[in-house]
Amino acid sequence: MTDSKNQSATDRTRIDTEGRRSAIKSALALVGGGALAVSTNGRANTATPDPLITEVQDWNRYLGDGVDARPYGMPSQFETDAVRRDVAWLTADAKSSINFTPLHRLEGVITPNGLCFERHHGGVAEIDPTKHRLMINGLVNTPLVFTLDDLKRFPRENKVYFLECAANSGMEWRGSQLNGCQFTHGMIHNVMYTGVPLKYLLAEAGVKTSGKWVLPEGGDASHMTRSIPLEKCLDDCLVATHMNGEALRPEQGYPMRLVVPGWEGNMWIKWLRRIEIGDKPWHQREETSKYTDLLEDGLARRFTWAMDVKSVITNPSPQAPINHGKGQTVLSGLAWSGQGKIKHVDVSIDGGRNWKPARLDGPSWSRSVHRFYYDFNWDGKEMFLQSRAVDESGFVQPTKDALRAARGVNSIYHNNSIQTWHIKPDGTAENVEIS
Amino acid sequence: MNVIMQRTGLMTCNTAVLLCSFLSATVTHASSIEEGEKLYRQCAGCHQIGAGASNAFGPQLNGVMERVAAKVPGFDYSDAYTDAMAPDVKWNASSLSAFLETPLTNIPGTKMAFPGVKDQESRESIIAYLAAVNSDGNINRPENTKSVDSSKELTEKLPRVLAADVVVPEHGVLHLGRSALAEEVAAWDIDVRPDGKGLPIGSGSVIAGGEIYDAQCTACHGDFGEGTGRWPVLAGGQDTLTDDRPEKTIGSYWPYLSTVYDYVRRAMPFGNARSLSDDDVFAITAYLLYLNDLVEEDFVLTSDNFSEIRLPNENNFIADNRAEEPNFSVAVEPCMSDCIADAAVVSQRARVLDVTPEEQK
Repeated sequence: MTDSKNQSATDRTRIDTEGRRSAIKSALALVGGGALAVSTNGRANTATPDPLITEVQDWNRYLGDGVDARPYGMPSQFETDAVRRDVAWLTADAKSSINFTPLHRLEGVITPNGLCFERHHGGVAEIDPTKHRLMINGLVNTPLVFTLDDLKRFPRENKVYFLECAANSGMEWRGSQLNGCQFTHGMIHNVMYTGVPLKYLLAEAGVKTSGKWVLPEGGDASHMTRSIPLEKCLDDCLVATHMNGEALRPEQGYPMRLVVPGWEGNMWIKWLRRIEIGDKPWHQREETSKYTDLLEDGLARRFTWAMDVKSVITNPSPQAPINHGKGQTVLSGLAWSGQGKIKHVDVSIDGGRNWKPARLDGPSWSRSVHRFYYDFNWDGKEMFLQSRAVDESGFVQPTKDALRAARGVNSIYHNNSIQTWHIKPDGTAENVEIS
Repeated sequence: MNVIMQRTGLMTCNTAVLLCSFLSATVTHASSIEEGEKLYRQCAGCHQIGAGASNAFGPQLNGVMERVAAKVPGFDYSDAYTDAMAPDVKWNASSLSAFLETPLTNIPGTKMAFPGVKDQESRESIIAYLAAVNSDGNINRPENTKSVDSSKELTEKLPRVLAADVVVPEHGVLHLGRSALAEEVAAWDIDVRPDGKGLPIGSGSVIAGGEIYDAQCTACHGDFGEGTGRWPVLAGGQDTLTDDRPEKTIGSYWPYLSTVYDYVRRAMPFGNARSLSDDDVFAITAYLLYLNDLVEEDFVLTSDNFSEIRLPNENNFIADNRAEEPNFSVAVEPCMSDCIADAAVVSQRARVLDVTPEEQK
C-alpha cells in the first residue's frame, strides 16, 4: 500500500470518528429527554442500570474448570455458528463432497485448522503415520520410498498460502444463488504450512533430463491425481506435514499433503503417497472431465491452474447483518491472488459507481489472503457493497458481466468476479446482482 | 412362506427371536466387530449408519438386525424387496449372510445393485458389526475392545540401534529414503496415459462389461449411464456443449479413453476401489463406449486396439488463454468515481431461489 493511501485512510477515520461523536451526542440528548433510543450496543437506552453490571454473575463468583478440563482446547461454547457447513443439494454423497469455511465469523488472515473447508472424493482417509509411505518413481535415477520420519530429516520451510477450490463461487455463474459469503466464497482457507520443498525430494531420486511433468497421487480411496509441470514443482511446491503449527488434520491430508501455491486446490493432493515423473501430462479425470472450463462456443480450456485475483466483503454480509443501526461501521473482507501479493483493494457502497481505497491490514504475503477494512459512518440508507482487488501483476478483479461476456455461464470453475451485497435500511444483507 | 425366505432361511418375527439372542451371544467378538466396521465402508456409499443416520441411496441401517425388514419410514423399497420381506420378517445372521453373498440373485429386482461379499468370514464380520449397532446408532462394543496402539507397541519392541552403525544409502544429495523395489512400484504405478503408456496387457468385451456394470455401477450411474440423483452421467449428451445446460459425459466431453480406464481402475466402484481386475476394467471401459454409441455390441477392447479408439470431443480442448480476455489485460488504473451513470437497481436476488441452507440454531 502506498503512503498516500495510508494517509487518506487515516484522514477518513478521523472524519468518521467526529461524525460518530456528534451522533452519540444527539442520542444522549434524546435519552435525557426521557425518550427511548436504540444505541449501538443493541440495548435500549433507559435509566435502568444494566444488571450485568450491577449484579454479581455466576462466572464472577464461582470457580471455573481447572487446567486440563479440555486437553485439546475448543472454542467457547457460545461460538456455535462458527462452523463449516455444506450445501446438501450440491453433491450426491457426503463422501465425495464439499463444505465451506465460515468466512463471516473469522478475522485476520489465518484460518483455524478446524474451520478449513473440506473437499473429499472418497471420504477422509484415516492413516496411521507409521503405515504411510511416499514413493517417487518414473523418470528418475533411483525410485525411492520415504517414511514420515525420513521426511522430517529434510530441511523444511514455513510458508503461508491460500488454498482455493477452483469451483469456489461456481454456483454464482448464472446469477446470485447462495445467501452468504460462507457459501459463495467459503471454498478457501489460508494456512501456515511447514513442509519440505518438493525439489529436495526430487533431488534425492534424481530427475532425468527427459522428465517434464509430475503426477502426485493420494493414498485415499479416490487415489486422486493431477499432472503438474516440473517447473512449478521445482519452484515453490512443498510436501507439508504441519498446518498452523500442528500436524495436518486428517481431513486436510494427514500425514502429508502437497502444497501448490496459487494454483487450484484440487492439485494440492492430500494423503500424498506417490510422485511420478514423466515426459507428458497424464490427462487424468480431474483435468479432463472435471477442472476444465467449458466456454460458450463449446471449446474447453484445460490446465487452467492459477487462481485469479479475487476479493469478498465478509462483514457485513447475508449471514452477518449490521445490527447496530447507523453510525460508525467496520466493513471487513478478504482479498487474494494466485499471481502474488494484493496491491490494493477498493470498496464501493453504491454498486460500483464510486470506489474508495480500503485499508489493508496484517501481513502481506505472496499467494496468501490479505485482510482489508473500510471504516465509515453509515447513514442508514440502502447500500450495494462491492470490493475490487488488484494484484501486483496488475490483474484487476472483473465484474460478473465482464466475465460472463468472455466465457458464458457454463465454466463452473474460476469465477473471480465482483460480489454485491445489498444492505437494506434495517441492516440485513442479501446476495444480489445489479444493473 | 415365499421362495426367498425358503432359500435364505428367513424367519418371521416370532421364530427369529431365539436365533437372534443366540447370535448376540456368539458373534460379538471385538475383533470381528472392528473388522466388520472396516468392511462396512463398501456399504457406506449407499447405507448410512450411526447416530443421526438417515436414508440415502439405501435405507439407514441402525438396528437393522433388531427391526422388522422393509419398514424404515420414508424409504422407497423395491416391490421385490417388500414382497420378500412380507409380512413381518426380521433378518438373522444366516439369512442376511446368504442375501449379502449375492443380493441380486437372492432377491431379483432389489434396488441393491451390489455384487455381494463373496468371502464368508467378511460377511460374518459385517453382520457382527450390524448387530452391534443399535437403533440409536450407537455401537455396543464388548468390554475388551480397548483399541491397541500398534505404533507404540512396535516402537517399544524395536531394539535401539547405535547411530554409528546405521548404513547411509548412496543415492541423492542428502541420502534420505530407500530404493523402491520393482514390485512396489508396480503395485502403485497404475496410471494410464492417452498414448497407452501404463496400460496393462488384457482385454474385455462389451458383453462382459455389461454384466459387471449391472452388478457394480447401476446403483449410482443408472442402467444406461444416465446417472441417478446427482451421481455422474456417463453416456449421452452428444452435441450439447453449446446448449444452455450442457451434458458432459464420456461420449460428449471427455477427450481420452485412457482417462476412463485409469479412473475406473483407481477409484471405482465408489467405496470399493481397486477391487476390479485389469480385464474387468477393460470390459467396463468397452461397455461405456457401447453406452455412448461409439462401438457395437460385439466389440472387444484389448490392449492392442485401445490406442486406436478416439473420443469425439478430443480436439475441442484448448490451452489456458485467460490472459487474452479483455478483463484480464487491464493495464490502466481502474475507475474510481462516477464509473456508471445510473443508480444501482437489483436485477436478481439470492432469496428468490431459496437454496441456501437454513441456519443451525
